[in-house]
Amino acid sequence: MNELHVEGLTKSYGASEPVLRGLELAVPAGALAAVLGPSGCGKTTMLRIVAGFLHADAGTVRLGDRLLSGPGVHLPPERRRIGIVPQEGALFPHLSVARNVAFGLTGADRAERRRVTEEMLELVGLAGYGDRMPHELSGGQQQRIALARALAPRPQLVLLDEPFNALDSALRAGLRADVRAALHATGATAVLVTHDQQEALSTADLVAVVRDGRVAQCDTPQHLYGRPADPWVAGFVGDAVLLPGTVEGKGTALTALGAVPLATPPNGTRTGTVLLRPEQLRLTATDSEGAARGTVTDICYYGHDAMVTVTVDGHDTPVGIRVAGPLSVRPGQETGIRVVGEAGLHP
Amino acid sequence: MAALFALLPLGYLAVRALERGPAYAWDVVADQRTLDLLGRSLGLTAVVVAACLVLGVSMAWLTVRTALPGARAWSVLATLPLAVPSYVAAFAWLSYEPDLAGFGGAALALTLVSFPYVHLPVAAALRGIDPAQEEAARSLGHGPLRTFLRVTLPQLRPAAAGGALLVALYVLSDFGAVSLMRYDTFTRAIHTSYRASFDRTPAAALSVVLVVMTIALVAAEARTRGRAGHARTGAGTARPPVPLALGRWRPLALLWCGAVVAVSVAFPLGTLAYWLTAGSSATWDLGGLAETAWATLGVAAAGAGLTTLLALPVGVIAARHKGRGARLLEQAAYAGHALPGITVALALVFFAVRYAYPLYQQLPLLVCAYAVLFLPVAVAATRAAVLQAPPVLDDVARSLGRRPWQVLREVTVPLAAPGVAAGAALTFVVCMKELPATLLLRPTGMDTLATRLWTETGAGSFAAAAPYAAALILLAAVPSYLLGRHRT
Amino acid sequence: MRRPSARRITALLAAGLLLPALAACGSDDKDTGGGDTTLVIYSGRNEKLVKPILDKLEKAVGTKVEVRYGDSAELAAQILEEGDRTKAGLFFSQDAGALGALSKEGMLQKLPQATLDEVDDAYRGSEGDWVGLSGRVRVIAYNPDKVPEDKVPDSVLDVVKPEWKGKVGFAPTNASFQAFVTGMRVLKGDDATRKWLEDLKANGAKTYANNLATLDAVEAGEVSLGLVNHYYWYERVAEKGEDKVNAKLHFLPGKDPGALINVAGAGILKDSGQSEPAQKAVDYLLSKEAQTYFADTTKEYPLAAGVTSTVEDLPPFESLQSPDIDLGKLESLQQTLAMLQDVGLV
Repeated sequence: MNELHVEGLTKSYGASEPVLRGLELAVPAGALAAVLGPSGCGKTTMLRIVAGFLHADAGTVRLGDRLLSGPGVHLPPERRRIGIVPQEGALFPHLSVARNVAFGLTGADRAERRRVTEEMLELVGLAGYGDRMPHELSGGQQQRIALARALAPRPQLVLLDEPFNALDSALRAGLRADVRAALHATGATAVLVTHDQQEALSTADLVAVVRDGRVAQCDTPQHLYGRPADPWVAGFVGDAVLLPGTVEGKGTALTALGAVPLATPPNGTRTGTVLLRPEQLRLTATDSEGAARGTVTDICYYGHDAMVTVTVDGHDTPVGIRVAGPLSVRPGQETGIRVVGEAGLHP
Repeated sequence: MAALFALLPLGYLAVRALERGPAYAWDVVADQRTLDLLGRSLGLTAVVVAACLVLGVSMAWLTVRTALPGARAWSVLATLPLAVPSYVAAFAWLSYEPDLAGFGGAALALTLVSFPYVHLPVAAALRGIDPAQEEAARSLGHGPLRTFLRVTLPQLRPAAAGGALLVALYVLSDFGAVSLMRYDTFTRAIHTSYRASFDRTPAAALSVVLVVMTIALVAAEARTRGRAGHARTGAGTARPPVPLALGRWRPLALLWCGAVVAVSVAFPLGTLAYWLTAGSSATWDLGGLAETAWATLGVAAAGAGLTTLLALPVGVIAARHKGRGARLLEQAAYAGHALPGITVALALVFFAVRYAYPLYQQLPLLVCAYAVLFLPVAVAATRAAVLQAPPVLDDVARSLGRRPWQVLREVTVPLAAPGVAAGAALTFVVCMKELPATLLLRPTGMDTLATRLWTETGAGSFAAAAPYAAALILLAAVPSYLLGRHRT
Repeated sequence: MRRPSARRITALLAAGLLLPALAACGSDDKDTGGGDTTLVIYSGRNEKLVKPILDKLEKAVGTKVEVRYGDSAELAAQILEEGDRTKAGLFFSQDAGALGALSKEGMLQKLPQATLDEVDDAYRGSEGDWVGLSGRVRVIAYNPDKVPEDKVPDSVLDVVKPEWKGKVGFAPTNASFQAFVTGMRVLKGDDATRKWLEDLKANGAKTYANNLATLDAVEAGEVSLGLVNHYYWYERVAEKGEDKVNAKLHFLPGKDPGALINVAGAGILKDSGQSEPAQKAVDYLLSKEAQTYFADTTKEYPLAAGVTSTVEDLPPFESLQSPDIDLGKLESLQQTLAMLQDVGLV
């Protein structure tokens, strides 16, 4: 009953190129969907249309059985029952934390307002902060209050507009988990707009990648990462190794790294781009069986793992290999490379 | 509604200018003299605006960004010239040196009373600039001066341009200083036209030219806004900037501030004191003075109240919308401001006598005249204040179930309140000083400090005029003082 | 930071708006409660100068009198704008020009012959719809320390001579000066007047803001001669005592243009419905009491027949040798101003 259906959304500003070109999005009730895309792809425009701040040129927005935007229909923002959590929180600086949270609790009586406010503060882990003023809070705390404020009126849908942008990475991970938990606790459907693929993959139940005003792919995080619809999506949601390949008979493709098994049988194409993830490549001894050979050119060390760049014989662009655990190679060293798991093939 | 109100004088001008046919009006306008007046008015405006920019920006920078001793006090003192009516300043200078009459004297007197229009917004903008940017510029090898010129100054442009616009409109509409200094501008020509020929057509036609100039100026100012962004909504508050040490420049900076305050505030006050002691017409009618002061406060408060109320929607729309309609609305608000007080007053006489006779020569009409004359002052303040309130807060409030007018009441206005209040204070000051419209529209028998001052100086009793002038300056100094202390 | 609440601001604004409304209600009551007509006088003459006599006028006329003070020309413009709904019953003007403008638009009511006959026909409207009340004569003020009395020129035309280079002061924006220039144009023609103005400027004559400042400059010896109205000097003497005033006045003989007489006068507004009290007011202003007031207090010349000024040293009105000019012609002020502008004096 809280599912969001966005269909055929089109929007252009003035005479310029359209920002949205028939965007489609469906979010099941209670799910947290991430809308992921580079800046300028139209994701914020979509969010503002769903919230009711902008009028779409064409297309419909439905929430449950209610039509919010459509031909001749435009419900004003205040009647949509959609909460928003803007970038950097945007708390009302002239109101206390409690009054910020209670801002949307109009019809309720005093006691009810107080009860919901306290409940929400507890939900976001800031019980007892009600009397503070927004500027007395840290960035992360402000963001939690912004979420509490959005959730307090029990909206059917919560829109989060890059809410973790201004926070440092250590704070981000914890906050993401808390936001997820809080959203699930209230059962609200949620849409998170972000350009950070890690954030999208780790937080959302469903990720929609937007490119040039259209959804390029909408899938669960695992599917999106593992089976991207095209090389662009693949590159956008993570590091990708792209190799030209030729299909051989029984579901394998021949590449510079040797024969690679394909996840799905090719439907008629003979050549294409073979897509692998860096963690599907393994460093082996140079003389190991069936391994391709290459030279280590660069190592980027992350602690929990490292990205080793290797120039493969017979391939122009270097490939990245994610190596977990202790490193045994140095730049300049020769190495063998082996492929694990299945690859995707794109025409 | 507010815009319609501001457009009343234009309607009147159209009626009067075309009374004897467009050909006659065109004859008046298409005259070498109009061109001369145009040159003279624009020349005076340009010089005064430039001088005000120098004074206003330098004082703002010195008081906000440097370790100037007594910076706060200087900042407040630099606001006080607002309280000095231009005719008092002009008279003070003329009585000191009659040879000042002409362009130089007019420019001097007008600059010294109107530079706070630049000082105030620029000081506010300086306080709002993130010092981290200046630090970055310094770390990139720019000296303090280069940093100021290349980083700080460009960011001050919208604030300075807004102030400069108010100065320009003030100069265009001023009659007191140019008449005393005998420098012919549009306003003076309009007054002369009423006086010499009793033919209202030339005056109206010249006023129309003035309105066209105003619109051009407002449009020019709007262009400087250009890329100036909306409110910054930082995660945390910016650190207060470390005041720049002045070092060996300190005496010079102090001398500069001292000189500016001396000529703009101390000099006119000193002249008044001299009148008081030197003349024999001094009569200390304290009761009359108190009564007049009280009436002045009342009518100025009402004027400021109505003007602020009308300016609120215009300012909000001007700040929040970028469309053509919003721009037209804002420009309409400026229409009345460059017109001489007498033109606006006669326009209101025209309409009130025809359509609102019971209001004629009653306070409400005078208050309306103030609103028409000073709407832009309040609109500029409201617009700037609303820009400070991040628009995303409006969105949030809407999403939490508020209608647009509720958003205005609960979020935008409270956030913009200090700036709106500052605009109201400024309007209050200019209402107190207003003379030509007050003379024509006041209820019969009512006196304000300004009309009293006019009466006394008209009879040549400068000593008797001095208490009224002093009371006017001191009373107007209170809101000016509050403006100077106001922090955005 | 503490911010004023929205509610408080709303309250303040509401108070600001209510205040004048309440005040208006109050004054409405006054207006309508009177029953009998109130005489409204628009006075272009300064409140300081005429308030005492207008207070007495209220008693003499017997109706309530309200006076609206302003600039003569602006009040005339206001009356023109008000048209037939004007509130003014009587217009009391500083000069003939403003009255002439109203007369031209037919807004003034013809005065009874008896009233008109009180003053010389040179000092009343040619249509018989306004009457002069008091006169002021243009004179040359001089500083006896700088110039002995017998060297003071007998004609204003002579102040452009080389011997007065940089020694003459005048107030080009003063209405009386401009009326004098207009008179000179009527008497001597535009070319001669323009030449005189140009010579005046070329001769380094100093300009001042008004007559008083000009007189001050003469007093201080900044200039030797000043072109002023006579009464400023008498007021100064009354204020400070004759021995304390250095400057002296020279009344010009021989119907010199520089000896022009300007008048202040009054006219009754046709459409105000106040003709009756206004007529009484005009008669009062021409009465001995009022005329004596003008003579004694404002040091002007009374214009009503049979009243003479008692001010010491003031030459009798009859002795003045002012030029014969139809004051109605002084309306051509517009061209005078254009001329002054061309010459670069204003």
